[in-house]
Amino acid sequence: MVISKKTVDRAVLIGLILLAVLLFSSTSEYKGIAQKTSAKYVQFLAVSLGLLSAIQLTYSLWKDRSQTRFVLSGNPLRFAILIVAMILFAMAFEAVGFFIPAAIFIPCIAVALGYTRAIPIILTTIAILAFVYLVFVQLLAVNLPGISF
Amino acid sequence: MEHIQTVFSFSSLLTIIIGTIAGVAVGGMPGLTATMAVGLLVPFTYTMDPTLGLMLLGGIYCGAMYGGSIPAILLNTPGTPAAVATAIEGYPMAKSGRGALALKVSVIASFVGGTFSVLILLLFAPVLAQQALKFGPAETFLLAIMGLAGIISIADENSSLIKAIIAGLIGMIIAVIGTDDMSGSLRYTMGVIELIDGVDFMPALIGLFSMIQMLELAGQKTHKIDTSVLNQTSKKEKLPKGISKYIALGSGTGTVIGVLPGEGATIAAFISYNFSKRISKVKELFGKGNPEGIAAAESGNNGCVGGSLVPTITLGIPGNSVAAALMGAFIIHGMIPGPELFNEYADRTYPFIISMFVANGVFLIVGLTLAPYLARVALVPPAIMVPVVATFAVLGSYALNNAVFDVYVMIVFALGGLIIKRIGFSLEALILGLILGPIAEGGFSQGMIIGHGSPWIFFESTIAKIMWVIIFILLVPPLYSYLKTFVFNKEKNA
Repeated sequence: MVISKKTVDRAVLIGLILLAVLLFSSTSEYKGIAQKTSAKYVQFLAVSLGLLSAIQLTYSLWKDRSQTRFVLSGNPLRFAILIVAMILFAMAFEAVGFFIPAAIFIPCIAVALGYTRAIPIILTTIAILAFVYLVFVQLLAVNLPGISF
Repeated sequence: MEHIQTVFSFSSLLTIIIGTIAGVAVGGMPGLTATMAVGLLVPFTYTMDPTLGLMLLGGIYCGAMYGGSIPAILLNTPGTPAAVATAIEGYPMAKSGRGALALKVSVIASFVGGTFSVLILLLFAPVLAQQALKFGPAETFLLAIMGLAGIISIADENSSLIKAIIAGLIGMIIAVIGTDDMSGSLRYTMGVIELIDGVDFMPALIGLFSMIQMLELAGQKTHKIDTSVLNQTSKKEKLPKGISKYIALGSGTGTVIGVLPGEGATIAAFISYNFSKRISKVKELFGKGNPEGIAAAESGNNGCVGGSLVPTITLGIPGNSVAAALMGAFIIHGMIPGPELFNEYADRTYPFIISMFVANGVFLIVGLTLAPYLARVALVPPAIMVPVVATFAVLGSYALNNAVFDVYVMIVFALGGLIIKRIGFSLEALILGLILGPIAEGGFSQGMIIGHGSPWIFFESTIAKIMWVIIFILLVPPLYSYLKTFVFNKEKNA
């Protein structure tokens, strides 16, 4: 199914109008003088967002006749691989720490993106891990989770 | 003379050089901030000679403020939030093979801005500190509005003004999440403990700038490297004519904003950038790689360095978070901020201030020497660049708060940001709203409470009236010109 840019645009704008309504109505729960002042600020943001989104949506419905296809990425497979790999990297981060997932992530993504020269990949991976260890762990004492050295 | 001799001793020079280079490295890595580096090193300076310890931290502060511009220009990944405006102009320059010039402009502007602000600190600190105390919540709110006025400037002939403002509002709404500073109550945290402190802007920044860039690179059908970049960057391009005007503008703006307690380099960089766009003769080049924008933004954020130390040293009120960490260093060495620093501890305070002139000189030499080589980063194959930058994006997001949650925040911002970017929303406006939103809200809420619910407080003081005039000047001409273009295009199409 081909989704046009204007469809996504309109869907986002409708979502923003809904958000503005929810945001505005949520301020009725704000109590006390300090919260009431915050409520005014949030109400201002909600009204502005709702109003401008409505204007933009009206303009789009009235004027926009384009059929430009919505393309998130020119190469969906590589794009998806990177996103999934990043999520897996983050999930593994807490369990096994930084270094093991990074040692897998860097070469795998390089290969997935079509780079096949093994030596530069290995050297880059080693250099990055060594740099992180020396600067982050040793010098700046950043507490990376997982296995410690 | 005695203080100058102290600074130019071998041990002092070595300390300043180490501190500045470390600062450039820290600032150059997204997720590592000057505050973090100074905060971590303060306890280590306890065993050092107090003067040397302060010089080390001062060097880190100066170096880090400049360092943020390097990845901003080369990778569209601002090392610090203050370098966002630099990325807007610097990255398009790097892409068109003018990365070396962008880096040169950035380092020279940083040097001039930093040196000017330190000179002001040296000469006028006590006088300026008294003036800064007149700056209340109402004026803080107006200062944030001045920064947010930059959203209007972000919209140009290629992007919708309404969408730029909507993006700014989205950023401000995201900034509302977390604990309300005024009442202490939780807002929109949805039971997620990690959101109690709100959405940190650093993972958002990394997601919106560096990860989106990497996702776009990964999604390209072919990965070709433009080798002409190498040839072009090797040519020594001269500084553009008239650039000094923008450097002077940014230096002055940055120093003044730096002096105000609680204001930071980010707001200074954006306001300077906005000013430069207003006075530029080539407004149409902004957003496409205009060195004038880099000059103003970089001199603006480095101008904050000396400025932020004015209230810190003289009144004990930190100008920003790095100055607060530095104040900790003064205190652990028994130097309580106040007039005594310039009398009783003059032998430490003056060498510390003078050492920052040297630190500015050190990063100038480092930057000018390395600029042509750093620009070659554009030649790294995307298939290598993407996993390396993505790894640092994960690490940088995590390192700030030691929280894996921030890594997910970064990924969400990258994906969401890419979608809204594709349909014409401005990511720069979103990040501007996210960074300046809390400052605006804090100033607004406090002002309203002080004014017993009356908005008149925002117009009362002389400073506020002057600021309204500046806001008017910043907002009305671009709005008028935008509307004129809009009507003109409508007539042309009809």
